Amino acid sequence: MQKTPELEETPKRENGFHKKFKDIDQWWLLVAIVVLLIILLVTTKPDPYNRILKFVGDGIWVTLYTTMISFVLVLVLGLFGGLGRTSHNTIIRGIASVYVEVVRGVPLLVQLIIWYFAFPAMVKDLGHAWNIQAFIDYKANPIVMAILGMTVCYAAYMSEVYRAGIESIPKGQMEAARSLGMTYFQAMGHVILPQAIRVILPPIGNEFVTLLKDSSLVSVVAVADLTRRGREFMAANFIPIQTWMMVALLYLVMTLVAARVVKWLEKHSRYER
Amino acid sequence: MQTDTIIQIENVHKHFGKVHALRGIDLNVGRGEVIVIIGPSGSGKSTLLRCINRLEEFDQGSIVVDGIPLDSAENINAVRTEVGMVFQQFNLFPHLSVLDNITLAQRIIRKRDKKEAHEIAMELLHKVGIPDKADCYPLQLSGGQQQRVAIARALAMNPKIMLFDEPTSALDPEMIQEVLDVMLALAKEGMTMVVVSHEMGFARAAADRAILMDDGLIVEQATPKVLFSQPKEERTKAFLSKVLS
Repeated sequence: MQKTPELEETPKRENGFHKKFKDIDQWWLLVAIVVLLIILLVTTKPDPYNRILKFVGDGIWVTLYTTMISFVLVLVLGLFGGLGRTSHNTIIRGIASVYVEVVRGVPLLVQLIIWYFAFPAMVKDLGHAWNIQAFIDYKANPIVMAILGMTVCYAAYMSEVYRAGIESIPKGQMEAARSLGMTYFQAMGHVILPQAIRVILPPIGNEFVTLLKDSSLVSVVAVADLTRRGREFMAANFIPIQTWMMVALLYLVMTLVAARVVKWLEKHSRYER
Repeated sequence: MQTDTIIQIENVHKHFGKVHALRGIDLNVGRGEVIVIIGPSGSGKSTLLRCINRLEEFDQGSIVVDGIPLDSAENINAVRTEVGMVFQQFNLFPHLSVLDNITLAQRIIRKRDKKEAHEIAMELLHKVGIPDKADCYPLQLSGGQQQRVAIARALAMNPKIMLFDEPTSALDPEMIQEVLDVMLALAKEGMTMVVVSHEMGFARAAADRAILMDDGLIVEQATPKVLFSQPKEERTKAFLSKVLS
């Protein structure tokens, strides 16, 4: 009974300014603040901030496209992993499980180093052993290896996300689809996955943001991403505070925007429940 | 009635781990026959039903549906397109509209074009009495309406046999009749039906044969009138006294 007045008041607060404020999603405000901060720094103190931005600018693109290409591949490879993990076939499930467990147990940094340094050495050794000139001449492309390394690693995490999504759909859905005569893949494609994707959209978004941040690790395998460009600038100019503040702010803009996009997707993919 | 046999079940056994769920079932269903299976929970009646379209694998014995033995994966899919199934929990696809629920399988399996599938779906929605709900989503409907959509969805594939697995058990009492009415109409049209249900009224009105299952076996079978009023077996009497009281 005591609560009643409060309950009546709540809708009133939703009106006017507060409601409008809520509609535009307060987190966009944070994005705007960070962007403004960068613009402010660059315009009011072009030396060093504009110089830093110009220097690391190409690194932003490298970070963005390696992350995006990896993520598209992660979505595909992870789907196969997820289907494998939920398969009734023991061999397929075994292979998928070993892949997931092994890859999840090794740090991404170590995996990237393996892809860039150990893998080409292995190819060369094989080339010598089998006398194949193409293998002996093999030179790893840093960006390709970085994308490969991130894809293989994150697809393992993504497999688990897909698995959780598929398992969250009641068994009756698959049974109903199969009882109508659909094959396993038809049922997956038309009935199970469309529902599972909606469930796992938030964790998929999280994976993207995490991948974006972890992509800074590719700087150790000769990819000129944002982090590496920041290190190069610092090595030449000795202004660590300003350099890394700028780099951090640039990462922050990217991750905040990505998180907003995911939220927006979530909102627009709901169906009547 | 028993002119030709459409489902032949011979000595079917099924284990769930240590539980022997079906212990040698023999059953023939004639074309156009309506069979109601009753029995206590855990008696294997749902399992038997699910074996007929191989949602459940059986360990021993054979099932032949309309001349197609349930052995290879190809045959299983062939049988499933001929056998419609209605579930206790409806199992409509919540991400699709009512119309899309009914047209999906028609389009990808029967390869009907959008217009044809649409027309068939609307015709069936008229038949089950809810054409106005075509554009709704399943979770906006009542349980009874959802189950009627589920029946329409199964019928859209033009099945020769319809299986009903406790179709009214998850419904509120006031919605049971609307679903039974649809099933009664279907039975009158000559559809072959195997129904797991304790709706005695439906059994009396529509069934050619009632079967009591207990502990993985068929205990007794007769016309509903005979089975319900003059059961021979003690187990049938004991079960009926609990259900009818």
